[in-house]
Amino acid sequence: MLELVGVRHEYDGRVVLDLERFAVAPGAAVAVVGPNGSGKSTLLRLLALLERPTAGRVLLDGTVVTPGGAARRHVTLVEQRPILFRATVRENLEFGLQVRGITRAEVNRRIENVAGRLAITPLLGRRRHELSDGEVQRVAVARALAVEPDVLLLDEPASSADRAAALTLYRTLAEERARRPLAVCLASHQLEDAYRWADDVRALADGRLSPVTPENLFRVDLTTAESGDLKRACVGTVEIAAMTDKIGPAILAVPPTDIFVSRKPLASSARNTFQGRVTSLARRGPGGGGGGGVHVTADVGVELIAVVTEEAVRDLALAPGSPVVFSFKASAVRVF
Amino acid sequence: MDFLAEGFRRALALLFSGDAEVYGIALLTLKIGIVATVLACGLGLPLGFVLATRPFWGRRAALTVVNTALAFPTVVLGLLLYGLLSRRGPLAAVGWLYTWQAIALGDVLLALPIAAALAAAAVQGVDPRIRRTAETLGAGRWRTAWTVAREARFALAAVITTAFGHVVAEIGSAMTVGGNIRGQTRTLTTAVALYTSQGDFGLALALGLILLLLALLVNVALQTLQGRGHA
Repeated sequence: MLELVGVRHEYDGRVVLDLERFAVAPGAAVAVVGPNGSGKSTLLRLLALLERPTAGRVLLDGTVVTPGGAARRHVTLVEQRPILFRATVRENLEFGLQVRGITRAEVNRRIENVAGRLAITPLLGRRRHELSDGEVQRVAVARALAVEPDVLLLDEPASSADRAAALTLYRTLAEERARRPLAVCLASHQLEDAYRWADDVRALADGRLSPVTPENLFRVDLTTAESGDLKRACVGTVEIAAMTDKIGPAILAVPPTDIFVSRKPLASSARNTFQGRVTSLARRGPGGGGGGGVHVTADVGVELIAVVTEEAVRDLALAPGSPVVFSFKASAVRVF
Repeated sequence: MDFLAEGFRRALALLFSGDAEVYGIALLTLKIGIVATVLACGLGLPLGFVLATRPFWGRRAALTVVNTALAFPTVVLGLLLYGLLSRRGPLAAVGWLYTWQAIALGDVLLALPIAAALAAAAVQGVDPRIRRTAETLGAGRWRTAWTVAREARFALAAVITTAFGHVVAEIGSAMTVGGNIRGQTRTLTTAVALYTSQGDFGLALALGLILLLLALLVNVALQTLQGRGHA
């Protein structure tokens, strides 16, 4: 179990990560989603023991670990824009194995194996300037898998990959996890990939974990102009009403399960009612990490996602392009 | 023009006739250059690496000192070294004044800040992801340092070349602590100065050409060692 406990991390006095607890259990498939600048890469660097947190502890199997220690060999990070050493692809794959003193025969066996699985065997003799960005990313993942870490951290692993390469990558990770108890923690800004692949999807916004699922997160500025706890914040072209005593910069989270979906505006106590059109429907399997149901994405002046049942989709005849009304109470909006 | 052409003719004649004095001076210069470059880079490259990668109290001040030392006048350096090595100096017992070792020592002190400052810049130029990648793949401190240095090898080779170039071209300190003694401490630069002042332009030019040849050979050797520019 790799854990961050009471971790706060600052760059130049600015808090970029503030987590009470973040754990990656053995064999888990965790996805961390969030917009650029939400702290995903910092989180992964702390988990990878590449940086020491400004405050708090990193624990591996209950023991406090620090950068530079032997614990780092249990965790390997593939950065968002990975870099290869000035050497051939094969020499890059050999690197982590050589520093572990693994025998030549075993080094060759592992390289052939991982190169075959990630379809990079034809690249083994090439050097970094002869590779595309997508190929560099695949080689970097192969290089990390070759050392067989207990925890593999991937920062936007499919950002430079085409769809086929991304599927190959996710299939390889699934095969690896089926073969041995490998925990994977993946940072992504693509919810679809996160839900398709991970058992556990967590959202990060402004360095903090979201208390709700990662959809419908908005960075806003709550002004003091309004009286009482009912505040309105501009999001896209709409104003979202929220009950909060917080002022200043904040994150608004609208839980998708708290959004009522209808064809026409409802006479209700909901302070937030927005009309728009459905842009997409996505069905999540019960084991797919999304909790089941149909994710209805609509453009209501801002893109919002609601989760409804299959029956509701049928009854309301929801389809891409159909008109829709999203309603939710001000008290349903989480502010943090 | 006749004067210049005559100078070139005499230079070539001296070079190809295998003149013992000319080649003696060249070999001594080469010996001092190699010894001083090895020592200066042996100390300066690790120092530059530490300055570039290890955060410590006073690092910025240390970098400032090293960068300032780049512009230290060689004549003043020679003067200080003369004071230390002369009979009344604290290092008189070493007995190095007017020896090739004194010239080498001056050259080391001259090239050390060059090696350190340029090595620090070279290492700072390496993408920080290289260090992180080496670390996350399990490399310890030394292996990580070696990996970073390997990435900077072209720039570090240029540092060595620059240091050697400064060492063999240096004259102020060599003249002061070496004394330009024929057959003992006469280097290419001090000899060129002497023969020019004596009006022997051909001999001075021959020695100058050898100096250029030395710099060229060192550059070619280092480029070969770098592995012919593989990325």
